[in-house]
Amino acid sequence: MLSLESITKTTQDWLLAKFNPTIALAMECAIVILLAITLFAILGLVLVLLERKVAARIQIRLGPNRVGPGGIFQTAADTLKLIMKEGLTPDTADKFLFNLAPFVVMMVAMLLLAPIAFAKNFQIWDINIGVLYISSISSLSVIGILMAGWASNNKYSLLGAMRSGAQIVSYELSAGFAVLTIVVLTGSLQISEIVAAQQNGWWLFKGHIPVVIAFVLYIIAVTAETNRAPFDLAEAESELTAGFHTEYSGMKFALFFLAEYINIFIVCAIGATLFLGGWMPLHIGHWEGFNHIMDYIPSSVWFMGKTFFLIFIIMWFRWTFPRLRVDQLLNLEWKYLLPISLFNLLLVTVIAIMGWYF
Amino acid sequence: MFLKDYITDVFNGVSSLLKGMRKTGYYFTHGKEIITEQYPDNRATLKLADRFKGEVVMPHDENNEHTCTGCTACELACPNGTIKIITKFDITPEGKKKKAIDAFIYRLEMCTLCNLCITACPSDAIKMSANFEHSVFDRSKLTKVLNKPGSKIKEGIE
Amino acid sequence: MNISAILFYAISTFILSAGILAVTTVKIFRSAIWLLFSLVGIAALYFWMQLEFIAAIQIVVYVGGIVVLIIFSIFLTQNSGKEMNSPKAGKKIFSALAALFGTAFVHNLIVHYEGFSFSSAKPFNPNVAEIGTQMLSTTAHGFILPFEAVSMLLLAAMVGCIVIALRPNNNIESETLNKKD
Repeated sequence: MLSLESITKTTQDWLLAKFNPTIALAMECAIVILLAITLFAILGLVLVLLERKVAARIQIRLGPNRVGPGGIFQTAADTLKLIMKEGLTPDTADKFLFNLAPFVVMMVAMLLLAPIAFAKNFQIWDINIGVLYISSISSLSVIGILMAGWASNNKYSLLGAMRSGAQIVSYELSAGFAVLTIVVLTGSLQISEIVAAQQNGWWLFKGHIPVVIAFVLYIIAVTAETNRAPFDLAEAESELTAGFHTEYSGMKFALFFLAEYINIFIVCAIGATLFLGGWMPLHIGHWEGFNHIMDYIPSSVWFMGKTFFLIFIIMWFRWTFPRLRVDQLLNLEWKYLLPISLFNLLLVTVIAIMGWYF
Repeated sequence: MFLKDYITDVFNGVSSLLKGMRKTGYYFTHGKEIITEQYPDNRATLKLADRFKGEVVMPHDENNEHTCTGCTACELACPNGTIKIITKFDITPEGKKKKAIDAFIYRLEMCTLCNLCITACPSDAIKMSANFEHSVFDRSKLTKVLNKPGSKIKEGIE
Repeated sequence: MNISAILFYAISTFILSAGILAVTTVKIFRSAIWLLFSLVGIAALYFWMQLEFIAAIQIVVYVGGIVVLIIFSIFLTQNSGKEMNSPKAGKKIFSALAALFGTAFVHNLIVHYEGFSFSSAKPFNPNVAEIGTQMLSTTAHGFILPFEAVSMLLLAAMVGCIVIALRPNNNIESETLNKKD
């Protein structure tokens, strides 16, 4: 049976047979980089179009429908436009940092891709601290935003960067606690072990009430961490023009835009891995026949389906809720999400020790 | 009770958010609700609301007759001088002089489509049409004469 | 020289050059950014040593926490975009001497205890579960006492923050706010 696992295995065997180990490793790295960049490009195109289509349907419109059948080439056309635009740098900006910032943001997004399991045994780096690695690297994403905001030498950008910094630093906490509930239940930080622990049911069902609470907290916190509506104060069009990327144009703006969507994909992929079982098919207890049918669906389809379901939920949030004020934002985190997640972590620890989960 | 207030606060917040999501979710799953008009494609079948105000027109019947008496009520009612009525005197078969319009000049470029002229008209001679495709290459084309050439007032309208 | 050694020298060069740029640049924000790169480089060195847990903690604490705090305080100071004057000669000499002393001290420690040979490094288990057990164990080489002491310190710091953040005339403020509503 043709699967991503077998393809990677044949490729590796072929490379090792043809070349010496060092060159084979270098070539594997090159292939992985190429695949990651391709994935980024495709994801950017698909997610932007998806966002616009979802927004349109929620707002009782049609959305892009002119370029290609049903408007599917709209984002490709937009990308072409952005490539051809001039990338301006303001005169009084700190030019070095101004030009560096989009690449920092992009690099952080790329690093986050490493430990994600896309399919069964299809993972770039099964690092033994998987979840901790993700939360540590994602704390770097604020640096690129702060850099961009400061280097632009623009009041709106600086305000946007400050807001974004305060927001990311605070919401990281409750996202971290939500992730910790699963770590407590699994007893491991490794992504592959977390997925393997969900063999007989996803944590969302196995861990019942506390995990459902953690899941809701996680979705709220990552929506804030990726600076999306209703937490998009950092780029609030109506008050700060575009926040930290006010001064960016052309391809540098496109990198920020792309990084935003890649980050959404990554947080949703992690959410799917932790709470919805990653590439694990839906298994219900001892219904052997049902479980067998579910196993026939490839694991990559399961993973992508769950991830896109979470992405859809986050898009649904964006087009339903109005933007929060900055004091409401911090109130929500420090007075509601954080105490609830602390209490929830305590609850889940008790449940894990007593074995009160399925 | 602090804790009780806190919990009801959270519960109310979540339930109100869910209510909002239910509404948007309904629109997402019901494609029939989409109200977008595919305008240039559906030009033949385009349906506009009855109350849509595109421009002022003067209806003529099949005998090329209208009902405008040239009373200039509309001209007086217009807030920004869009309408200019030039009158003349027709000779009736009985040899009497009768006031009639020579030209009903309507400047679309100045019109705000406020509907005041329509309500002012005592004989319902003018009305709003639903035509909205007004773009032309020359501004002078927007100054229109609403009564058709050779038209005359309908019998019995004073 | 194998790939591992090449990587080590590349990372070390990156750390050192970022560190030198951090102390020599005249723009304070750039200085913070170079410090950040230097710290990221140190994390990369930990990854190179396959101590993933320490590397991740280095990034969380130093890069994501302390440097972000430094950047925030730079944002809140006035004239943060202006170029600073270069320091006086006396200060320069003092800093150079301090750096030299630090290097000599660390070098002395290394030579005294382990030496620079690779073979002397004992293999140890960097497993996260192992670190967690060690952190809370009460037996010999357990870290329960320092762990609890640091927890108390952090708790005290947090309570202190809340006390500072509380407004002294809380009632009057909230009343005026309510009237506005």
